[in-house]
Amino acid sequence: MTAFLQVLADAASQGSLYALSALGIGLIFGIMRLVNFAHGEFIMIGAYMLMLSAAPYVPLAILATLAAVILLALLTERIAFRPVRRANPTTLLVTSFAVSFFLQYLFVLIEGARPKGFDFLSSLAEPFVIGEVRVPKLNIVTIGITLVLLAALAFFLKRTHFGIQMRAAALNFRMARLLGVKANRIIAVAFAMSGVLAAVVSVLYVAARGELSPVMGLQLALVGFVSTVIGGMGSLLGAVVGGFLVGALTVALQASLPLELRPFREAFVFAIVIVVLLARPRGLFRGREARERV
Amino acid sequence: MRRLTALLAGISLATGLGAGAVSAADDEVIVGAAIALSSILAPYDDAPFKGAQLAIDDINAKGGVLGKKIKVVTADTKSDPAQGANAAIAVIEQGAELVLVTCDFDFGSPAAITAQGKGKIAFSLCAGDPKFGVQGIGDLAFTMGNGTPNEGATLAEWAAKRGWKKAFILKDVQVEYTKSVADYFKGRWLDGLGEVAGEDTVNGQTDTQVPGQISSIKAAKDAEFILFPGGPGGPPIIRQIRAAGIDLPILMPNSLDGNYWIEAVPDLSNAFVLTMGSIYGDDPDPAVQAVMDKFKAKFGAPPVTSYVLSGYAIIEAWAKAVERAGTFDGQKVAAELEKFKDEPLVAGLTTFTDEWHINLNRPMLVIEIQNGKHKALERTRVEKVPEVKF
Repeated sequence: MTAFLQVLADAASQGSLYALSALGIGLIFGIMRLVNFAHGEFIMIGAYMLMLSAAPYVPLAILATLAAVILLALLTERIAFRPVRRANPTTLLVTSFAVSFFLQYLFVLIEGARPKGFDFLSSLAEPFVIGEVRVPKLNIVTIGITLVLLAALAFFLKRTHFGIQMRAAALNFRMARLLGVKANRIIAVAFAMSGVLAAVVSVLYVAARGELSPVMGLQLALVGFVSTVIGGMGSLLGAVVGGFLVGALTVALQASLPLELRPFREAFVFAIVIVVLLARPRGLFRGREARERV
Repeated sequence: MRRLTALLAGISLATGLGAGAVSAADDEVIVGAAIALSSILAPYDDAPFKGAQLAIDDINAKGGVLGKKIKVVTADTKSDPAQGANAAIAVIEQGAELVLVTCDFDFGSPAAITAQGKGKIAFSLCAGDPKFGVQGIGDLAFTMGNGTPNEGATLAEWAAKRGWKKAFILKDVQVEYTKSVADYFKGRWLDGLGEVAGEDTVNGQTDTQVPGQISSIKAAKDAEFILFPGGPGGPPIIRQIRAAGIDLPILMPNSLDGNYWIEAVPDLSNAFVLTMGSIYGDDPDPAVQAVMDKFKAKFGAPPVTSYVLSGYAIIEAWAKAVERAGTFDGQKVAAELEKFKDEPLVAGLTTFTDEWHINLNRPMLVIEIQNGKHKALERTRVEKVPEVKF
């Protein structure tokens, strides 16, 4: 029983950062059908910003990181994605890869490819021990923040002026524009929000790992993307559930696969993802706009 | 067919002439570095290449090799194996008699294969895969790195010397090197030294967090130490292990040498790294310490890792072999290198044979980490070298 609870706690730990990354990617996809692979680089640049500004006062550094990543997300949207907004999704996807590589290699140039150690909020990495089950404090914080951000996002989308416009744009972009929704502004707001999500991941990720490198965001963007696909492209709740699911699968397979097969764990994770998609091609939670309307 | 032969002859004549046209002045010999000067692998080639430059300064100050001053030319592989061959050709066309290649079998072998084809000695800055040599490339390819069988077995024997009996093996599966060190450790460890209390795998590149692995270490209750041959992404794993309250000694190979990552686990204690030498100013070997001091004087800061020694030792080794052979000819120099038996180089006593162009029993220095501070402990040499498997 303890072992099972520990696997469950481990799964939640592993899944929480995936869920937050997936939320950032899912948000942009829902609105402009763009799979933003540069989201990983938003996280990476946030981490470097955190390191550069951490010295005097931690809350200030977190604010600086938030501001920097929001600005970066807005700039990326303005410079890279706005000119190709009307292009087909493949063009958008290729553009996002280009932005991702550009930012990554820019940081290889500026900061070098060797990872840098950076101790940040290491007290958070220590675990709470409940009975015999360990949960790092950081993961409780991460899960808490994920839930709060999800709730805030839901409130924003359902109750605020911008949120309603954003949902309208997600349902039918042209129709929304005809009705007076300002496309540029709505998309900019969405990017700013994905910037907030990326910056939060930067802070939590650095606290967990204590190391920075220009390629640190790759895995999170990849898993974040897979999670949104499982959850149902366009569904925010789906993205979060997908993130936790991939985390849970990873931990469960790590615990149950025989040692010789563990190096190929990822293959098993993705095989299960494929099975899920075969059963539910549109993911677990379909986005409303994906449904056929008569 | 005759026309083809003529064409080939023409090409080889043309390239021969081409090389002749740009080759070194009579009082110079060229060493070419076809290595990663930019992108992902650049930081790993940087330290050994700087070491090579130090050795070249030293040798030139004493009059050079066979009376010729050594001159360095470079070509960037941009950390791309596909660019390796071009980079090797670029330096060979400038007259390189020795080609330095990247610190890894997968990334360094394309340049080495090209050098082999042109009859030039290729030296990997520090590849640890035993394939780097006769078996994987050819008779002119050497590496100054310590072979993974050496590192794995040395760690096992040293752990046994500490009196430990039960190991937890955390095998990083991200690259051949990290897997191979874990496997050779296990092979030597189970050969009468101790037992395995638990095992798990991890991938330093893709495992963002490692709660599952931490649970398996906790479950191996009688483990006395953790063997962790990690690569990039290793320090975050150590941070998470320590944060989870696991204080067991951690043994690491040369890949986790250096204090550039210690900020990730600032108060790390009870950890041990096997290295070529100490970059912390306390190496018991004065020859090593002298190289470290020269490095600081020339480049303004101490080296980031001890791989600086392998770069230095390559030039040392090559210069000795050339002097003994009396020529720069690749085959003859290789024959002299193969006669090295416990040759004293700054990287340690070095042996090459006609079978092994990699070090399989060189003594290595154990560095202890306490409270985030590195301290040289002792040089230790493997007694029983495991059989190399491909």
